[in-house]
Amino acid sequence: MEQQNIMAAGMLHRMIREFTDNELAPLDMQIDAQGDYPDGLFDKVVNNGLLAITLPKDYGGAAFDYETAAKALHIMAIGNASMAVTLEGHFKTLEQILKYGDQRLKDAYLPSATHRIFAFSQTESSGGSNPKGISTRATRQGDDWIITGDKIMITNGGLAQVYCVLAKTDDDQMGVFLVDQDMPGFSFGKREDFIGLRGTPVGEIVMDHIKVPSYHLLGKVGQGLEIGNNAHDDARILMGAVLTGIMEHELQIAVDYSKQRKALDTPLYELQSIQEKIAEIAIARQNTELLYQHGAQLKLAHQSYAQVAAMTKSYGSRAAVRSGDMALQVLAGYGYSREYPIEHLIRDARAMEIAEGTVERMNGEITLKQINR
Amino acid sequence: MKIVVCIKQVPKSDSVKIDPKTNNMIRDNVEGVINPFDKNAIEAALTIRDQLGGEVIILSMGPDSYMSSLRDGLAMGADRAVLLSSRAFGGADTLATGYTISQALKKIGDVDLVLFGRQSVDADTGQVGPIVAQYLDVPQITFVEQLRMIDQHTLIGQRLLDGSTQQVQVTLPAVVTVRAELNTPRYETPVNIQSSFEKNVDVWDEHDIDLDKSRIGQAGSPTVVKRVFAPDKKGRQTKTLNGNAKKAVQELLGQINN
Repeated sequence: MEQQNIMAAGMLHRMIREFTDNELAPLDMQIDAQGDYPDGLFDKVVNNGLLAITLPKDYGGAAFDYETAAKALHIMAIGNASMAVTLEGHFKTLEQILKYGDQRLKDAYLPSATHRIFAFSQTESSGGSNPKGISTRATRQGDDWIITGDKIMITNGGLAQVYCVLAKTDDDQMGVFLVDQDMPGFSFGKREDFIGLRGTPVGEIVMDHIKVPSYHLLGKVGQGLEIGNNAHDDARILMGAVLTGIMEHELQIAVDYSKQRKALDTPLYELQSIQEKIAEIAIARQNTELLYQHGAQLKLAHQSYAQVAAMTKSYGSRAAVRSGDMALQVLAGYGYSREYPIEHLIRDARAMEIAEGTVERMNGEITLKQINR
Repeated sequence: MKIVVCIKQVPKSDSVKIDPKTNNMIRDNVEGVINPFDKNAIEAALTIRDQLGGEVIILSMGPDSYMSSLRDGLAMGADRAVLLSSRAFGGADTLATGYTISQALKKIGDVDLVLFGRQSVDADTGQVGPIVAQYLDVPQITFVEQLRMIDQHTLIGQRLLDGSTQQVQVTLPAVVTVRAELNTPRYETPVNIQSSFEKNVDVWDEHDIDLDKSRIGQAGSPTVVKRVFAPDKKGRQTKTLNGNAKKAVQELLGQINN
């Protein structure tokens, strides 16, 4: 069985590489310039079953484990980080439904996760890392809940059709509720015009007295923050994988250029100042890969992974921005040009110093853990 | 419809090396992949099955390591696979291979359509498909770039030849060899990758098939390979035309005209 899993993971990763090389990488620059996925591209992702990578077989999925899925996003991000982040948002949301969802909710919704994007949303205008200050309300009405509020900066907001939203109940406790775009009272708000990961839609949803059955509550009332934090942890591992892919792309560009370009008669890579940069990018890429793999392995072993997940995203996001800067310097004038993708890779990586908790918040969590151990 | 796609595992194109001493292809530790034209054949089979129903069976002959290519065919969506694997089959030329495959096809039974890629990219003979058609005594269409099922029993294939095309209509059962122009092979999908491990793969040796033992393997192969060699690498003279574009183009044109 173990051998079979390894073989299957190898086949998946080869398939993702082929898909990325053929379908995503050639459009990478266009996606950034257009600020959206070209028509039909997302359909290809759906039609080739990529939404179902982690979904259990009972719901029509492929049931690959989290480490295998993370590696898939790593490979995809070498060609295009936006699509990898779109899948990251979907996978982390499914994890919460699988862990906390009522069986009726799973049976009703998870089969559609093969072709519909699921999103997780906590942030409101009051702040992303301050969930206690949210104003979205969940009011009990008989056996149902009535959800009202406004959520912003949702990864895949507008593209996703199903949303898990954090809301406050009447007794000021937190809960996470699943709402569907087809429910009366649901509407989309504005899409953000972000400077990086420009293919990944990030948008707003407005919920006006959406009525959901009681089993649309994930876990119990009062578990909302725990579920939100768990979603963050799951996302941070996958973001580490995406950041590894971005650094691999940065490294490739710097290495290729340093082999082809000469300073006088010396190839650039023979210059110590260039070697310094290429080595640093390679080390940072390797470190981030080890971090996300370790985080995923802890999760698979049902051990605590929040700390490693925070380290992965804190280290990986800053490393990827800095690696991009170093790669840019290797290419000098060309690196500063939009002709090469480095500038957009830096903008893409920069998003992950913010999304799923800022680096400062990661470092706060890491420090607290160290102080209290 | 029962469709069998015959595939060959070939070395991945960028990892092919020739041993300079023996002049043989180095196959040890070389990553094997499905012959690219055979993926077009699998795609054609899956498309017909999706339209008309039935099953798609992948058939190949080779060592255990071919299992990975069978698995790839199943992960594209084929229903089951058969591997002909035995030392007795080793060293077979196209004639012995064609004979062995045709006997395996008879054992599979009631096959409506046998598809091949037009040739393998390592040996490049393109002979096995036509040989199988001959042994089965069924019609064949080779080098097909368009394929249309008229009904469950009739098929029209358009052959792409040097400077011309030819449409051929056949009544099934038949053998068809396909070109890359026919279609774009689908990707394996995550779900199909996992289910490929649950699908049935039969491994048959010389005892499982009705065979004349003198017609298989090395003994059944009249082809004699006298020598395989890597052509000498000839360096080409390269000249860089410096200066501005206009001057460089003028100089280039001057050199071409000379």
